[in-house]
Amino acid sequence: MRTSPFFHFLMLGFFKERKKHIGVIAISLVILFLLGSALFISSSIRYSLNQTLAWEPDFVVQRTQGGQKVNAPTAWIDDLLEVHGISKVTPRVYGRYFFKAKENSFLIVGVDFMDEQSNKALRMMMDETDLKQFLKGDNMLVGEGVSTHLKTHFYPNGYTFLTPKGVFKKVNLFKVLPKKSNLISNDMIIVPIELAREILGMGEDEVSDIALNVPNDDEWDNVADKISAFYYDIHVTTKEDIKKAYENLYNYKGGVFLILFLIVIVTFVLILYQRYSMVYSSERRHIGLLRALGWSIRDVLKLKFFETMMIVVIAFVLGVALAYLYVFVLGAPLLREIFLGGANLPNSVILVPVLDFGILSSIFLIYAIPFISAVLIPTWKIAVTDPKEAML
Amino acid sequence: MNEILLSNQVLVYLLSESILFGLLLIAFVITFGILLKWDFGSYSEQQFLLERRAYLTMTILLFVFVVKFLLLVYFVFAIDSLSLLVPGAMCAAGVISANDYGMLLLFLKLVILFFLLLWMALNSYDLRAKNYPIFRLKSWLFIAIFFIISIELGLNFAYFSHIDTLEPVNCCSTLYGQLEGANPLPFGLNIMTLLLLFYLIYIVVMGAMLSKQRVLSVLATLLFVMIAYYSVVYFFGTYIYELPTHNCPFCMLQVEYYYVGYLVWGTLFVGAYLGIVSSIMEIGLKEERKKEQTSALILLSIFVLLCTAYVAIYYLRNGVFL
Repeated sequence: MRTSPFFHFLMLGFFKERKKHIGVIAISLVILFLLGSALFISSSIRYSLNQTLAWEPDFVVQRTQGGQKVNAPTAWIDDLLEVHGISKVTPRVYGRYFFKAKENSFLIVGVDFMDEQSNKALRMMMDETDLKQFLKGDNMLVGEGVSTHLKTHFYPNGYTFLTPKGVFKKVNLFKVLPKKSNLISNDMIIVPIELAREILGMGEDEVSDIALNVPNDDEWDNVADKISAFYYDIHVTTKEDIKKAYENLYNYKGGVFLILFLIVIVTFVLILYQRYSMVYSSERRHIGLLRALGWSIRDVLKLKFFETMMIVVIAFVLGVALAYLYVFVLGAPLLREIFLGGANLPNSVILVPVLDFGILSSIFLIYAIPFISAVLIPTWKIAVTDPKEAML
Repeated sequence: MNEILLSNQVLVYLLSESILFGLLLIAFVITFGILLKWDFGSYSEQQFLLERRAYLTMTILLFVFVVKFLLLVYFVFAIDSLSLLVPGAMCAAGVISANDYGMLLLFLKLVILFFLLLWMALNSYDLRAKNYPIFRLKSWLFIAIFFIISIELGLNFAYFSHIDTLEPVNCCSTLYGQLEGANPLPFGLNIMTLLLLFYLIYIVVMGAMLSKQRVLSVLATLLFVMIAYYSVVYFFGTYIYELPTHNCPFCMLQVEYYYVGYLVWGTLFVGAYLGIVSSIMEIGLKEERKKEQTSALILLSIFVLLCTAYVAIYYLRNGVFL
């Protein structure tokens, strides 16, 4: 333990002068807390979306007209089934139903309950549903957001939809979907496929799009090419495309946040520079004394470096812990609205705790490098103090 | 809107590099001023001022060295995470070859780290000698490093702002693997002779370091880095991936392989750098540098053992070679 007297001295000095450090640690905490929360939320949502995506079908085939998606004919399904390597071709019927003066909308999803579902996410949600009961009348399963919305608008047991043909259709509320699927199911209404067609005003031989799986990953590009060649107005979306779109969206949100955060960091650096210049100039006598006692410039630099590192590490650990508590224990009130963007129905999502090396190292780098850089020059200035001058 | 520049990791990385460059610029201006007026024999006020300023350069460079090292790891990590955004890329190999700047940038980073390490070694010698015998040498070295880092900073921005997210890139198996029969190895080697060379040169490096043949050890280490690179990509890597056709230096940095790539490349480069720097110091300054030599030997041996272990474990488990 050659260096232990040095660390002992460092600790003594640190606790004796703790009032000087508390200010800096407090500012650091605020900054780390904000940054940490934002990155934690964005990564947690990204993680949940990726989890959900794992259940999604590999391909979605749509029909386009003038760049807009239109309903596809059911005849396409038979053509798709003939391609080798394709499995689980599922027609999907869904659409938005606008509620009351178009303020809010529900996502209506028609499910063919007789068929095996290719979409595992939907199947998981409906796991505990008693299908026999459900299929007896016109029933629907709704997401939590929909359920609250209906209740506050005095439809506790069901809702009367107005179909495009001008006919009213009364549908009973059968059950509310489990809360853990809220990220996708919040504004969702699940009904049998024929009922969905009726509500959305689609013909018997029409579907919104067709989902299909290709179990062999290596064949994805081939299959996509083959399907695209079937019709001129076909549009194929792969799971990778969706993944990339999500990645871009959350990079965008996190990135804009970070760019705005750069301004904060610059201000922080200026404050630190000022503050440390002041703090250290009041320490001139102290350093001068150490130098007179035989400390070299390197020793003083070392002392100040460890002092700074202690502040950085303490602030980092506390700040990240606070952000963790705020996001994953308290559920990040207010801040998560930026990331979820609940313009439609209010959503309450449980943020799944995700901590990875990438985020922690990003937070550390963006905080520690500007911090230490700002302190370097004041530290040097004080370290080269001439003992004689300082004692005067 | 450029999606790459909005990626969190890229933003943090570019910010960190820019801050470091700012500090280095200060150090550069100071060093230049010092070099113009440095005269250790003088007792003037100005000479004392210069000596104090030299400490600032030293502090900045020490900081830069540590952070540059961390940032190299972070850089590799960042481009690895970009592989989702760049079509066709499955690991960092595709992303780094997305434009012409990438490979050059990575190479420059390795060069810079080497020179920074050399500078640190020179500096510690210089300080211990009390009368700054090689002050000018190390200052000129710093000025050279500064120019390389300036180029690197430019490359950083050029690289990240020119990654096209619509243009597909090659994945690692097309970059390193399917060469349609062409031999990717240098000097017309095949795998057998490559491996033979790998172990032979390793023994030469060990021998040269232990018997203090400095010039030989520098040359052998340089050759070893090159041969080791090819051996890992074309032979040992296949055992890490447990797939005979998978030749890639980057995929092993991913979580699927327990980030073992960081250990593989880390031990190789740090070991080689320490070995070369300490040998150069011993040639140039006639000074014993036992500690660095020993650490270099240990790191390189860990590297060789690690690579061999992958092959051995695979063989023990499956009873065949790939």
